[in-house]
Amino acid sequence: MADDKKMTEQESLDLITNMIQKAKGSYHETGIGSLLWGTVVTIASVVTYFQRTYDFYIGFDIWLLVLGAIIPQIIISIQEKKSNKVKKYEDDALNAIWLVFGITIFGLNAYQMIVPDVTDKFIQLEGWQLTKHYLDNTKPDEPINTFTPSIYSLFILIYALPTLVTGMVKKFKPMLYGALITYGLFIWSCFTITEYDFLLGGAAALICWFIPGVILRRKYLAQQQANV
Amino acid sequence: MFKELDPILHSQLRLAVVSLLIGVKEAEFTFIREKTNATAGNLSVQVQKLKEAGYIEVTKQFKDNYPQTTCKITPKGIEAFEAYVQALQQYLQVGKE
Repeated sequence: MADDKKMTEQESLDLITNMIQKAKGSYHETGIGSLLWGTVVTIASVVTYFQRTYDFYIGFDIWLLVLGAIIPQIIISIQEKKSNKVKKYEDDALNAIWLVFGITIFGLNAYQMIVPDVTDKFIQLEGWQLTKHYLDNTKPDEPINTFTPSIYSLFILIYALPTLVTGMVKKFKPMLYGALITYGLFIWSCFTITEYDFLLGGAAALICWFIPGVILRRKYLAQQQANV
Repeated sequence: MFKELDPILHSQLRLAVVSLLIGVKEAEFTFIREKTNATAGNLSVQVQKLKEAGYIEVTKQFKDNYPQTTCKITPKGIEAFEAYVQALQQYLQVGKE
């Protein structure tokens, strides 16, 4: 591009429009982060569904896989930050939303693990207990521990949140539609037993992250090839 | 009365640089070079002119042992760009009449 070329007003305006468009479509995310989370959350959810439905245990908590995915995610984030030649205004806000999402999921996990035990202790201190009573009296009453019923529905609800914001801000329809479908899955999960909630959660992770991740990856690779 | 077109911005390459930077928070020199198809030497000169006018901020640092130059539009640059676009629209409006 030469500097000293005389421009007409129309040419100036066209140049501005062209450059703004170039900046807009300047980069696509690699999609690896979305693929990673879509994969681990789908696997963990589906394995949990099978474990609960067919009453077996794979020998370790499958959700540790999700916890372990934080390490590659940090590496991916650092590498992507290094390779990005341009920083957009919305990047910081979206990073903050995904960080808050991570903290919320962690907090909800902690809630799920801590609250039933603590509630049991308070109940014991008060000198009473929760009991399972069969209405037809075919079985004797059984003492039960406190539990958080159908909490995975809340996870599904939270999966949709950062996905919807990202879809709206980036105008990325696969995430936008993925999030809207996930809200539908959340409503559905309110009416199903916990086992099915896991299956619906697996579907949510697939729709919210894995499928958009595949689309992002394809776009990114196509852009890389175009730049060669 | 027509506003005069800002001579700093009314140049193909400098206008291209500012138009690129208006929509992003910051961009590397190599990114601007790719998008404008300018030579490094010419771009350096024009970036320097924009910097001297106070329209952009230029940060030089080292990343993985390589020098990295990052450009960012300043509030003064945004103001000048908006005034330039407004003046352009005025000219074009008259051309249509």
